Amino acid sequence: MSKAIELEQLRKVFRVRERTHGVLGSLRGLVAPRTREVVAVDGVSFAIAAGERVAFVGPNGAGKSTTLKVLAGILRPTSGHVRVAGLEPGRDRGRLGYRIGAVFGQRSQLWMHLPAADTFDLLARIYELAPGEYRARRDELVRAFEIAEICEKPVRQLSLGERMRCELVASLLHRPEILFLDEPTIGLDVVAKATIRDLVRERGRRDGCTVLLTSHDTGDMERVCERVLVIHRGRLLLDRPVDALRKSFIPRKRISVVSEEVELALDLPGVRRLPSAPHRTELEVDLRAVGVDRVVTQIFARARVLDLSVEDPPMEEIVTAIYAGASADAAT
Amino acid sequence: MTAARVAIVTGKYLAFARAAARRALAERTVLIGRSVFLGVILFAFSRIWHVIGASSALPGAGERELVWYLAVSEWSVLSVPPLFLAIEAEVRSGDVACRLVRPVGYVGSQISEAVGEAALRLAVLGPSAALFAWALSGGFPADPRGLWFALPLGLVATLIAILFMAAIGLSAFWIIDTSPFFWIWQKLTFVLGGLLFPLELYPDWLQRIAHATPFPLMCWAPARMALGFAPRQALGSALQGLLWVGILIGLLVVMSRRARARLTVSGG
Repeated sequence: MSKAIELEQLRKVFRVRERTHGVLGSLRGLVAPRTREVVAVDGVSFAIAAGERVAFVGPNGAGKSTTLKVLAGILRPTSGHVRVAGLEPGRDRGRLGYRIGAVFGQRSQLWMHLPAADTFDLLARIYELAPGEYRARRDELVRAFEIAEICEKPVRQLSLGERMRCELVASLLHRPEILFLDEPTIGLDVVAKATIRDLVRERGRRDGCTVLLTSHDTGDMERVCERVLVIHRGRLLLDRPVDALRKSFIPRKRISVVSEEVELALDLPGVRRLPSAPHRTELEVDLRAVGVDRVVTQIFARARVLDLSVEDPPMEEIVTAIYAGASADAAT
Repeated sequence: MTAARVAIVTGKYLAFARAAARRALAERTVLIGRSVFLGVILFAFSRIWHVIGASSALPGAGERELVWYLAVSEWSVLSVPPLFLAIEAEVRSGDVACRLVRPVGYVGSQISEAVGEAALRLAVLGPSAALFAWALSGGFPADPRGLWFALPLGLVATLIAILFMAAIGLSAFWIIDTSPFFWIWQKLTFVLGGLLFPLELYPDWLQRIAHATPFPLMCWAPARMALGFAPRQALGSALQGLLWVGILIGLLVVMSRRARARLTVSGG
């Protein structure tokens, strides 16, 4: 299978100015600014095959977004070899632009004061789409993402979830070979997150486009991707199929239940009751002993459930577990 | 680049301009506010000039011409959208990095948006300025033919101001807060550009200094056409204006390249 993305020993170092205190320090800073180097990405190598959906996860400040910006041609690497869709992003940014799509969860590519449909029209021009081809693609995506009603409203009036659906449509209009998604579910509620994850997975499959998704939410990785790259402090910590990572490093999930019953008792192996409040039960589930589906089924059988949520352990906890695993491997 | 390619690329930037014009049209209150502000300024200064008898110092022109002068200069100045703020905000927030993913020039698209917005403002504020000037001065200038030249010169003036604003906005890559640069530029435009008074009222030495700069091209050059019919002067100003457009585009090309290098060195 051909490679959509290839990275070899990517290193990206930023030079940041050091702040100096006091008037004298500020004046000195103007004449002879003091800078220090910050290593954002430190020798990262990986390859992604065409059509693969890969999660690029790690805690805040791990180097995910910097790597993504290097891959998109926004930043040039300090050293190392990078190829995306057969092009060198730093040099061929113009040509690469036609072949990639990008969504940055905390930024918008839509015009806030205009309906999303107007941005789609503008993007059709930018990506030089033929009018007939553009209309067919837009209509297909508008149907798939169910935005027919909302894409005629000014973007500033949309909810974050609605806006994100429009952002995804905007990034897919030109049929990109590679889709970069930077924290696409950040700030969304549970329902909106689930919708976005389903849409990205389904669209990736249907269009056969390569997806590289950065997130610090393990749910994004589990529900959208088949492979995961874990990065921490600029270094690649792990490269595995999502299933393998789940089994090795996400052995537990936490379930919160709000029920009409004051207390909820379950008799399943691997389920531990955490300190809870009346009508609110907190459970920790060991996935090696029992599946979440079995636990949830028993909860619904035993109680009248008002609310239920299933949470992954935070990314920081997973990275700690990966570190512990790596140390144990090194010791043996 | 082939002719077909030029047409495609031009079409992209025109699309930005059209979208920005639509956005400006949607913000009706801003347009109404600017029209009202223009009326207030014209009213206030026409009264001040009447009291101090400013027209007596300007041979060949009366109070009426001075009101039309101010109407034209304010028309071009108020039509320029604050592009530097848009660029500064994107640099500060990091949104600029996301815009670089698209196969279209960042600075070019920003300028196109500003041009689209300015075109709409020129079209709306033009009739407002003319109406206010006519009502406050009691008629048209003695020789109204010069006003026809004010239209193309107003367009050139707006374009120069937009290019300056883009350069000020791009300076955010180095200084983050561009307001000091804007403040200095704006005051120079007001004073050396002859926003409120024709440069002919200035001492000779100050006139010489002003004409050596591009500032008169943004106010005085189009507004001067309200003082009388001067086709040679109009042609000279237009050529000088186009020369400055070329110089500023060159400056922007250099600044964008350096800004790009800075982004990649200091972080996205």
